[in-house]
Amino acid sequence: MMTQDQIFHVLGVIVVASPALLLFMLGFTWLIGLPLSERSTARYTHAAVTIGLVAAATILGMMIAFNTRDVPIELGNWVEIQEEHFHFHLKFAFDRLSVPFSLLSFVLCGTVGAFANVYLHREPGFRRFFLFYSMFLLGMVVSSVAGTIETLFLGWELVGVSSALLVAFFHERHEPVRNGQRVWSVYRIADAAFLIAALTLHHLTGAGDFDGLMGSGSWPESVASIDGQHALIVGLLLLVAAAGKSGMVPFSGWLPRAMEGPTPSSAIFYGALSVHLGAYLLLRVSPVLAVSVPLQVCVILMGGVSAIFGAMASRVQSDVKSALAFASLTQVGIIVVEIGFGLHYIPLVHMIGHACLRTLQLLRAPSLLKDYQTLENAIGARLQKNPSVWEELLAPRQRTWLYRLSLERGYLDGFLNEYIVRPFVRAFRWADAMERRWTDFLIGTDSRESDRVPAFDESLEDLG
Amino acid sequence: MLEAALKELPESTPSACNEEHPLHDLRHGIEHAAHLLPAQGPIEVFVHHNTLHAFEDLSFHEAVKEGLRIYGAQPYLPEVRYREMLLSGRIEVADLETALRDDLGGRSDDLVSGLATLHDLRMSMLRHPLQGGSDAELRWLVAETDALERFRDDVPFLVRERMLDRTREWLTDSGSLTGGDVREDLIQKFGRRMQDMPNWDETRWESALLLSLWRICRSGVQSVPVSAPELPGGSHASRPRDILLRATGDDPDRYVHEFLIRFCGAFLDQGYADWNLPDRDHGLFRAFVSVYRQSRGPVDRWLRNLSAELKALWQSTATPEQSILSSLELLGISAEQRDEFIEQTLLALGGWAGMMWQMESAADWTVRPAPKGSLLEFLAVRLILDHQAILYFGEEYLGCNSSAHEVLDRARQRVSPHEATSVDRRAFLVFQLAQIMGWHPQQLLLLSNKEWASLVRNIEEFTTVERRRVFHEAFERQYREQALSAFAVHSGRRREQVRQSASESSTSKNSRDSEPSDHGKPTDQEQTASSAKSRPAWQIVCCIDDREESFRRHLEEIDPSVETFGAAGFFAVVMYYRGAADAYFKPLCPGIVTPEHYVTEDVGYTFEGVNRQRASSRKRIGRITHQVHQRSRTFVGGILTGLFGSLATFPLVARVLFPRLTSQIRKRFGELLQPPPVTQLQLERYEASPGSSNGHVGYTLAEMAGIVQRLLQDIGLTKTEDFSRVVIICGHGSSSINNPHESAYCCGACAGKRGGPNARAFAHMANDFRVRNELQKRGLTIPEETTFLGAYHDTTSDSVVFYDLDRMPASHRTEFERIQKVIEECRERNAHERCRRFVAADLKLPQLEMLRHAETRGEDLSQVRPEYNHATDSMCIVGRRDWSRGLFLDRRAFLTSYDPTQDDADNSVLFRILAAAIPVCAGINLEYYFSTVDNTRYGSGSKLPHNLVSLLGVMEGACSDLRTGLYAQMVEIHEPMRLLFLIETTPEAMLSIIRRHEGIARLCLGGWVQLALIDADTSEIQLFRNGRFEPFDVSVADLPEVASSRDWYAEKRGNLGFASIDS
Repeated sequence: MMTQDQIFHVLGVIVVASPALLLFMLGFTWLIGLPLSERSTARYTHAAVTIGLVAAATILGMMIAFNTRDVPIELGNWVEIQEEHFHFHLKFAFDRLSVPFSLLSFVLCGTVGAFANVYLHREPGFRRFFLFYSMFLLGMVVSSVAGTIETLFLGWELVGVSSALLVAFFHERHEPVRNGQRVWSVYRIADAAFLIAALTLHHLTGAGDFDGLMGSGSWPESVASIDGQHALIVGLLLLVAAAGKSGMVPFSGWLPRAMEGPTPSSAIFYGALSVHLGAYLLLRVSPVLAVSVPLQVCVILMGGVSAIFGAMASRVQSDVKSALAFASLTQVGIIVVEIGFGLHYIPLVHMIGHACLRTLQLLRAPSLLKDYQTLENAIGARLQKNPSVWEELLAPRQRTWLYRLSLERGYLDGFLNEYIVRPFVRAFRWADAMERRWTDFLIGTDSRESDRVPAFDESLEDLG
Repeated sequence: MLEAALKELPESTPSACNEEHPLHDLRHGIEHAAHLLPAQGPIEVFVHHNTLHAFEDLSFHEAVKEGLRIYGAQPYLPEVRYREMLLSGRIEVADLETALRDDLGGRSDDLVSGLATLHDLRMSMLRHPLQGGSDAELRWLVAETDALERFRDDVPFLVRERMLDRTREWLTDSGSLTGGDVREDLIQKFGRRMQDMPNWDETRWESALLLSLWRICRSGVQSVPVSAPELPGGSHASRPRDILLRATGDDPDRYVHEFLIRFCGAFLDQGYADWNLPDRDHGLFRAFVSVYRQSRGPVDRWLRNLSAELKALWQSTATPEQSILSSLELLGISAEQRDEFIEQTLLALGGWAGMMWQMESAADWTVRPAPKGSLLEFLAVRLILDHQAILYFGEEYLGCNSSAHEVLDRARQRVSPHEATSVDRRAFLVFQLAQIMGWHPQQLLLLSNKEWASLVRNIEEFTTVERRRVFHEAFERQYREQALSAFAVHSGRRREQVRQSASESSTSKNSRDSEPSDHGKPTDQEQTASSAKSRPAWQIVCCIDDREESFRRHLEEIDPSVETFGAAGFFAVVMYYRGAADAYFKPLCPGIVTPEHYVTEDVGYTFEGVNRQRASSRKRIGRITHQVHQRSRTFVGGILTGLFGSLATFPLVARVLFPRLTSQIRKRFGELLQPPPVTQLQLERYEASPGSSNGHVGYTLAEMAGIVQRLLQDIGLTKTEDFSRVVIICGHGSSSINNPHESAYCCGACAGKRGGPNARAFAHMANDFRVRNELQKRGLTIPEETTFLGAYHDTTSDSVVFYDLDRMPASHRTEFERIQKVIEECRERNAHERCRRFVAADLKLPQLEMLRHAETRGEDLSQVRPEYNHATDSMCIVGRRDWSRGLFLDRRAFLTSYDPTQDDADNSVLFRILAAAIPVCAGINLEYYFSTVDNTRYGSGSKLPHNLVSLLGVMEGACSDLRTGLYAQMVEIHEPMRLLFLIETTPEAMLSIIRRHEGIARLCLGGWVQLALIDADTSEIQLFRNGRFEPFDVSVADLPEVASSRDWYAEKRGNLGFASIDS
């Protein structure tokens, strides 16, 4: 007879292992040249999600039944560097935050998987989609139940890689690839912030366990054991990471760009799940926020600005997916504000509710035209716009100015390009030019063969 | 001020003669370019049309080449696809040879440089893929593969042996070794082993042969002058953008388009965004200037000077025309280049430009049509942005930004001129052909320079486009031969059957009773040998749509006593229609016709109370839904919906995982809100003039009689004795969810709407005894016992509903119940046949489950192929059903009923049928053709990333050109062939119609459709070629006979051949 702990342990491992196994199945069979058929891909996906979901639900049930607040699952240190006091500690924690979030991931991923199975039928990239999908699912589950900051980072990266690849899903066209790269670059900034935060944390506490960071007690009652000064540094870095991942100001530009992939992937990834990952991170480290008031103010400000910006931008978008992307941003902003105010359960409920609603809206996005016709027929007139109050209050000039600001998505992309990307690129170009001079000088002639390649090659099909 | 300036446009002021000319030219140029833009309007109404409609005055083959030049779009399928079909037998070698011979005309047997006939040379080029590719690719081939060591794999053994023998003789016989450099090459390669020649093994000989062959080819083609290189789509270098792209590798359009797409989306928005573009009503140009002239705007570097520029423009009160002219000057576009430049500039964002044009010229019915001149203003805005982008490129990449001229000059210096076809590339082509044709080195060595030139010319003239054209002709030919032969054989069989049954019935009493039910058919009907055709038990008129072919065929199979007809699915009822639950009138008639009459669906007095109640609940619920929908995207509303959003999980999971169940539940609840089941059409008009207000709605009796007469004449049902007791008029449509292209699946003859109300209205009219009296006066007597019933067939779910059954006389009830059973069985069989095309449906599923599968497709949120629509359409039959009845046409044929024996001397009935059928069916077929051969340029790509924008069309992702045409999932099983018309008439009649109707003439003479005529009495077929009819020889005489359709199609996925169904 297994003890309660053992049962928890087995279930916990199943929750993480089922998506991992799915990723392995889809990836490995393809790697050895025996790719799965559409039907078996669907079957395995279905099985993995169901098993994971049932295990997670059972954990939830047992936690309620036995009134357990916190179930840690240790998988030991995977990398250990004694001299540097570094270890990669794989640990999962099931508590009141991670269990609902992992359940959400399973439900939404499962639904979207079933949807995509029909939607992508006969699509040449079917297998590729499901490979990325399983990677994403694993990333989401690992992120939600991560017990250490390293583990969280692992999941976070999987989500990042799969998201960027899915944005670039239609890689035969230019725009998806370009936008995929853009999403990836923003994610890298977020990742860098995250990594620095993790290192700082290690430096401060000697370990990346959330326990160490948040002191004793299980979420959300835990109290952080670091002082306000340190909390501010770590917290700000984590805030940047969260902002990048959730597309908050000033990184919001990637949100509409991420709509390049097939509809179901946009729905789940940018509308529903991964956009909440930043907020989830902040919620996870909420005890740290509680320590430092300036940090809380920053969080509230960032959330507030994002929410207002999202609401404005959403109002002027004329295409469904962008409008929904910015609408998501509004809600994520509000969730972040809620977190900033030290709330715990409300943001969690909000997050789950919002994710479900948005997924449904995005999956139904192509129905919009018909919905409008139905509504018009029901109402018996053209649909009325209700201009919001503050729109009326503004002078026409200001209104136009604000309109342009919203239509141009707050000029955020331009801002990033001009003040971050451009100096960065120029610096490297300069370094490159210096290097070329030097090598040219050494060789005594042009040292770069690549210079002779034309900048643009028309690789059109030979129609001669 | 701008408005004032606009009003003062020089058109009305003859004094400003100098001004007028350029402006007039400009407008003319833009209008000309507008015709090249996609002609698809708002997606709500999707009307199939010829994608290259603008080129219809050219012949088909010329037009597709123009398409290649102007749009850079593929003219035919890729060569690889045709070769695959050659391998699989879909194209036969004999067809290819005939097609090539037809193409060459008398030149087939011309000898090319004494080596081979032109026919053989080109045949080899068709059958064997030749490596072309870039110089780099070629260098790699020569250096890294054994292309110069080993023969190509497809060189036949005998050819190879013969070449080796000849070469052996040639090389060992040192006396004749004339080619000095060949020898040098060989020595270089083989060195001392040259001495050892007699003992060489096969492989060494092979490589020696190929090396000398290569060497000779190279030196041979060297003497041939290179013709000026022609870029694919030669005009594509007319925009500054092309130069900048080539010089810098970055694309200025990328910047401009991202900006412009957002702006156009906001400008054309039909009410999706909550916040409208300021100054939208003043037109695109003015809105643009007024929004973007304010300072503190975009921080993007390339837009830095925009607001200053626009401020100046605002102050100068320049009109959009003037702005265009000054932009043209800034970009250095000369007067001769201008039209082409404008054309290419507009086509760069063709989808949006096209929509701009549609919204200003043909969209009065939309919520917010665009003001006149919007396309011109679009161009003005675009050129301003282009100019900004050029200056930015100058600064960023080329180190100068003083003027566009200077930037472009610098860019031009950087661009290397396009390389002409290199000697190696030409030589390699000859080299490969020499192997295939078995030309040995010595033979080539003897060619004179002139002969080389002729050889190279003959090879190069046969470009891939030409090759694909010949392939395409062969591809169509193979199908045409089979189709026409099948009709010839089948119609013969049908005549035989009729003769037999006639003789049988004259000897014995009609013993064969194949009816499923014992009731109905009056067996005592007189049956004489002269009129072998017995009076049918019931009749049904369906749309000519290819999807109804199988429906009719199955009906006939189940119940041989039925007679079916095909007529354009608006059934001559041209109307604006408003249903009981609709807010607006919608046109229900072909897109080219504008209705004058209005028809409404009313709820009778009995149900008026219920209706009012339900209408107000609909209204309430509608308002709430709209609020929720809109508010869920706002700040405060979003919080609430977010908090309660978890409830959305239920519909979400249910709709994705259990679409059918969910839709049933939704329907059940929906019924409580729908208008009451009993409604009536307000069809009769009491006021003089037609209109939409009360009293003006409907038709007069005379008009109704005209409509009924017209349809009955069209289908050839005018003799009193031909009418059965029940005549069903069956409109059709399709319903699917989550599909912005839904309208494309509906009835083309009803402008992409559902044709049920037309059928209902027609039945209503034809049942009216006053209308019948009027008809009797006109010489058309409908028997009193005949009753008409309106019906509606949903081609996605294969459901059939009837209208106004309460009005059916009780005397017809039993018959109707029998008919209903037949139709029920028919829809199952029809769904079963359709589902064989869906890979997701297991071929072994039982019939009923196939029907369930078909029903689910239209209700599934995740389904991108609710049905296959017109895909695979390939024929259109015009004539009596008698001779085609029972022929398995695989849902690929439009079926139009027409009885030549009832037509007048001018063939006016045929004329009016064809005037609609040829353009409409050809339009559908050609849209499918073009969307298939180039799904990226003519079609709208994959449906998966589609994103509805401005409620007008779809983009890919969040920022792309508007995608027009058909999406990939819609055409994936389509075989792109020109529609083959088979018409039951005489060549004289047809030629006279071609002479009289310009549209038909263009399509038939230009080869946009294939045309054949059949004489039903003799089964003789005439094929229209090069402007005249030629007798067609039946080539495939064996037409399989099977007992039922199912025996023929069972458990097969692909396209099927023809077969007689012997039921």
